Amino acid sequence: MHPVGIRLMPRPYVKIASLLATALLAASILPASGLAAGKTVVTVAYSPTFVFDTNDLAAKWWNSIKDQFEKQYPNAEVKLVPIEGGYDDIVNKLSLLYRSPATTPDVVQIPTPVIAEWVASGYLLPLDSYVAKTDWWQDFPQVIKDEDTFNGKVYAVSSGENDSMLYYNKDMFKKAGLPVPWNPQNWDDILTAARQIHAKVPDVVPMWLMAGTSVGTVGIEMGSGNLLFGSSDSTIYDAATQKWVVDSPGLREVLGFYHSIYSEGLGAKLSDLFSPTAHTVPVTDLIPKAEVAIVLGSNFYGGQWGKLVCAPCWDKATEVEGVAPIPYVKGQAPNVTTTVAGWDYAVAAVTPHPKEAFDLVNLMSNESNSIDMANWSGFVPGSSKFAMAPALINFGPPVNELASKIIADGKILPPLADFEVWSKGLQEATGTMAQHPETTVDQAIGILKDYVTNQLGEDKVETR
Amino acid sequence: MNDAVVASASESGKKVRLHKRSADHPGVDIPGMILLLPASLLLLALFVLPVGYAFYLGFTNITLIGPASVHFHFTGIANVHRLGRDTLFWKSLWLTAVFLAGSVVGVTVVGMALAVVMQRSAAWLRAGVGAVAIVAWMLPPITVAVVWYAFTTSGGTLSLVTPGDGDSLNHFPMLIVTLANVWSTAGFSMLILSSGLRAVPSEVIEAALMEGTARWRIFLSVTLPIMRPTIVTNVLLVTLLSLANFALIYIMTAGGTDNSTDILPVYSYQQGFVFKKLGYGALLGDVLVIISTVFAYLYVRAARQRPVRTRLADGV
Repeated sequence: MHPVGIRLMPRPYVKIASLLATALLAASILPASGLAAGKTVVTVAYSPTFVFDTNDLAAKWWNSIKDQFEKQYPNAEVKLVPIEGGYDDIVNKLSLLYRSPATTPDVVQIPTPVIAEWVASGYLLPLDSYVAKTDWWQDFPQVIKDEDTFNGKVYAVSSGENDSMLYYNKDMFKKAGLPVPWNPQNWDDILTAARQIHAKVPDVVPMWLMAGTSVGTVGIEMGSGNLLFGSSDSTIYDAATQKWVVDSPGLREVLGFYHSIYSEGLGAKLSDLFSPTAHTVPVTDLIPKAEVAIVLGSNFYGGQWGKLVCAPCWDKATEVEGVAPIPYVKGQAPNVTTTVAGWDYAVAAVTPHPKEAFDLVNLMSNESNSIDMANWSGFVPGSSKFAMAPALINFGPPVNELASKIIADGKILPPLADFEVWSKGLQEATGTMAQHPETTVDQAIGILKDYVTNQLGEDKVETR
Repeated sequence: MNDAVVASASESGKKVRLHKRSADHPGVDIPGMILLLPASLLLLALFVLPVGYAFYLGFTNITLIGPASVHFHFTGIANVHRLGRDTLFWKSLWLTAVFLAGSVVGVTVVGMALAVVMQRSAAWLRAGVGAVAIVAWMLPPITVAVVWYAFTTSGGTLSLVTPGDGDSLNHFPMLIVTLANVWSTAGFSMLILSSGLRAVPSEVIEAALMEGTARWRIFLSVTLPIMRPTIVTNVLLVTLLSLANFALIYIMTAGGTDNSTDILPVYSYQQGFVFKKLGYGALLGDVLVIISTVFAYLYVRAARQRPVRTRLADGV
């Protein structure tokens, strides 16, 4: 037998090939020798496409962080690890990276609903002693501190939060004889306005209310979850019995509201509600094109229409669009309800250089970086001081100011793995109501109950 | 029909084996086995072991994240027990069957129609239509999904000719995703069936014509029976292609409200990567592997049949 590969290759090429191989080998070893020379490399995993309003802004912010850190710490290097894809892709890719210490990034930006699972896996470093020394942690409102704390220890630091509010088109309200500014005091006020719009302003969607499964839990955060937190019983997971609530007065109030919206033809069309980008449909299309009167939507809309993001550019935004807090079902105190969910920085438990890793978190959390992150991603910054800074308030008026004011009244969704199952059950229920308007509240409750029971078992669900 | 296919496949299988034993039996070929060793090792390392491990994971409580992501353990038949009680699994299995049946029938009928029309058309038209059908087949699933999503939702071209809000995808999700799959796979089917059509001996058709048999009758009673091995191959390949077509449905509906298009690959993904229950998701994947293996086995059996032309020449 002949060594075919070598025989076919003329001698000069063999030499060139071996030279190339040597060069490649050397190139692959060089960065490692850079490490050996004493530079501390801090890896940070982040989303280049999902968190920021545009990919350019994401690149600009993260490159700037790298530059600032390397300038401040000449012996350190920041290695950016971009994680492509949407919400689930990011969580899944990170879950896989964390399975091995060799691929675990030192610092990560992760969505708040999944942090508890990272903590339970032992992946994250407690940060109590570090945050205590910063000048921003004391200004975090309790709801955000709670979101970052597990079993009494701080494991993450908010990089920014989303909350929700009601958007309304002032022109349409005036046309329908509704008051401007509008301050609904309970859910009936919202329904009354939607019905009046339906009667007096034809050809527009009276109310946008997220329904269905197409955007997953984001649809709960920016839709039904807000209403549930403003209902008379907002318990989703009963910590005492360790069961998931599948039927309660609160859930019936929420589904009753959905029933009114969709059975009376006050909702949006299915192709928009069930679109894979349903959470951006109001901000990119319906609101600027004056096709919707009331929107239960997220605070991230605020900066979208401004000159920097321009998705789309809409210079009449402040003139045309008003905002109001979402009230409780019957106007109970505090009469402001919203979900709170965002993205946090966390440090890996296995990082060989925790000090440098937290120094990076500290740098990212300073006033100017926090406000840039918030403005460019549509967040409310963790620190209430930064949240009221003019640079933030003036970036997306009047949305940003209201978003910053209401966040302290917000509540977080249960940070448990099985929440995704409960969430899917509620998405199925609201989606069915939108698709089949004749669906009753009892039937919708049945859908939620059947779904969660089938997935988790009879002994994991309860009726309140 | 299925029984007939299996019976015929096993019959010809026997013939092939007999033929091999009598004429080509090589004895133990040591150098040949040594040469095969690297490939066998690769197959073992890259296919047998991962699939075996995936089967094992299906019987554990592993999760993607959380304590059981690191410290998972064998849970016996707990997952299988759950599978039996999981109403969504049975629904998913049924939806998979509907999707496969719709796709296979649709793809074969459209593929055959294209193949027949092309056989009778001018060369330039044949090349043009063939190219278009093949381009549709070569498009990545993401493109097919986006094209069909835009086509079948409100504001899409289809909405101009359908009554109501024109939102066909959300009103008839299974029908639309099946049509999208048929559209994208028909070109592949056309290629296979065209070659089958060309293999039909012209003298047989001429003989039938001379007997005064109608064209449709010739197609049903002469052409189709002669093409049977090609059609079987086509059906099995389309089944395997459709079974693996996770991306198309995931992008178009992600399973859909009311799980109306939650076929097995989508449900498996949902359990593993949305609910983070990797163990149970792996078990659902195992079911998929078993189903695919059955079809793959049938395909291999069918592919071992001798070509029709040879058999005819032999007077078989």
